[in-house]
Amino acid sequence: MFIESPRVTRLIDAFRRLPGVGRRSAERMALHLLSAPEDIAYELSDALREARASIRWCSVCSHLTETDPCPICADERRDHGLICVVEQPFAVIAIEKGGSYKGVYHVLHGVLSPLDGIGPSELKLDRLFRRLEDGAVREVVLATNTTPEGEATALFLSRQIAERGVAVSRIAHGVPMGGGLEYADEATLAQAIQGRTKL
Amino acid sequence: MLLSLHEVRGFRCLTEVRFEPAPGLNLVRGRNAQGKTSLLESILFVATSKSHRTAQERELLLHEAESFHLRTVLERRGTPVTLEANWWRGTKRFKVNGVPQQRMSDILGQLNVVLFSPEDVDIVKGGASARRRFMDMELAQVDKGYLNALQLYRQVLRQRNELLKRPKPDRDLLRAWEPQFVESGRAIMESRGRFLEELAAIATETHASIGGGEALQVRYEPDVKQADQLQETLDKYLESDLRRQQTTRGPHRDDIGLFIAERPARDYGSQGQQKTAALAMRLAVVELVRQRTGEYPVLMLDEVLAELDADRCQRLFLAIPEAVQCIATTTQLEGAPAGYAGDFASFLIEGGRLERR
Repeated sequence: MFIESPRVTRLIDAFRRLPGVGRRSAERMALHLLSAPEDIAYELSDALREARASIRWCSVCSHLTETDPCPICADERRDHGLICVVEQPFAVIAIEKGGSYKGVYHVLHGVLSPLDGIGPSELKLDRLFRRLEDGAVREVVLATNTTPEGEATALFLSRQIAERGVAVSRIAHGVPMGGGLEYADEATLAQAIQGRTKL
Repeated sequence: MLLSLHEVRGFRCLTEVRFEPAPGLNLVRGRNAQGKTSLLESILFVATSKSHRTAQERELLLHEAESFHLRTVLERRGTPVTLEANWWRGTKRFKVNGVPQQRMSDILGQLNVVLFSPEDVDIVKGGASARRRFMDMELAQVDKGYLNALQLYRQVLRQRNELLKRPKPDRDLLRAWEPQFVESGRAIMESRGRFLEELAAIATETHASIGGGEALQVRYEPDVKQADQLQETLDKYLESDLRRQQTTRGPHRDDIGLFIAERPARDYGSQGQQKTAALAMRLAVVELVRQRTGEYPVLMLDEVLAELDADRCQRLFLAIPEAVQCIATTTQLEGAPAGYAGDFASFLIEGGRLERR
């Protein structure tokens, strides 16, 4: 990048902090926004500013929302006795697309990771535990990722939740629907066979 | 397995190299510091994504360069496979037949190589970590599950150790990491146990045939005796873990016991005898890879020939099966290795350039 401008550098650096964006893509996006008609750039900055200013965490489940509580927590037709715990808002969107889950959520915005200095208090776990206090919740489904940190978080939560007399379950790991087994990697297949169910 | 082409751009002192080894023995000749070892190192890198000489990958770059590029064509069970490794400003990318690969476990095992280098005497002389490195590197190439288990184990160990460094680690938090520690630890121990059992028999025989004299014995020495005792051990050593702020026991403390004439090989014999034992270990892997995968790996011998007299050299070549493709470096610029009468291809490397001789 040979444009001598700290402003351009700042823009590129801003893009690089986004997930999945490397140096090359960041440079391309920055140059595009600077050379395309200025409406495109201003539309992006307006959209970003407005969205960021109007979206906050739901005071109940910590999902991203414009209204508080969020539409899912406010929906009386949903099963409020069933909470699905996920790492990121992205997972809520994915599960909602599936359309079959009728319970509510709790978003941790992270996982336990001592190496990153993230413990129970950083994840605000007391917010989750407080939801279990009034006895209205029957079951918590742990849907953290199958990374080492996601597994450890699920295990830690399962003990804490069980102590509070609420049933805990972990989402099943296995092969994708509608796909051949040959597309699943070895670790997934091993898990799927280990976690097989009786017919 | 046959390496038919290996192209290098900008790796250490190798500006641009096109290496087309023949089946059988290939001699890469050159004076010191001309790039012989770097050529082998670049083959190891494309096969394993790692260097045997450094963990600082920046050192692999040509002076003031920002990238290097490796491209290798090999034949596996008669089918050609193309491997590419690109390093650019700290990120490395691998392709197999032009398809980008995300997981390390999909790269390892494409090109099986066994490298014997002068540093390998550490397998005998060095600490336990050198022997664990030997096991990990060779096992990861032939056992995909092993690499997955090892990566999981290392990550869980790092996280647990970090927790132990806290002023008052929460017991429940510590416990949250234990099932994964136990499960991956058990998988590692079982793989290592099987690997060393198979290797031991071959190594003893190889050692005898390359003139090692008295019998070499190899055995697995796990830190925790039984794989099913890992949870027990964690419980038993919790106080000690808390005091020392790290995980005291587990497969990260494993070792390989090497004995010559029933005495620890480390204390036994000359430097030369220790080197022969180390060479026997690597050569044994060549046979083990064939038993596990049905094909011999490519064998690379760095600076071995110079140190052997004609008799030992001859024994070494007799111990290497004819079907093995072997790439050996030598400072001897003319002629066949002492005591070797077979065919070979010859290459000269000079100032980072390679030509067929």
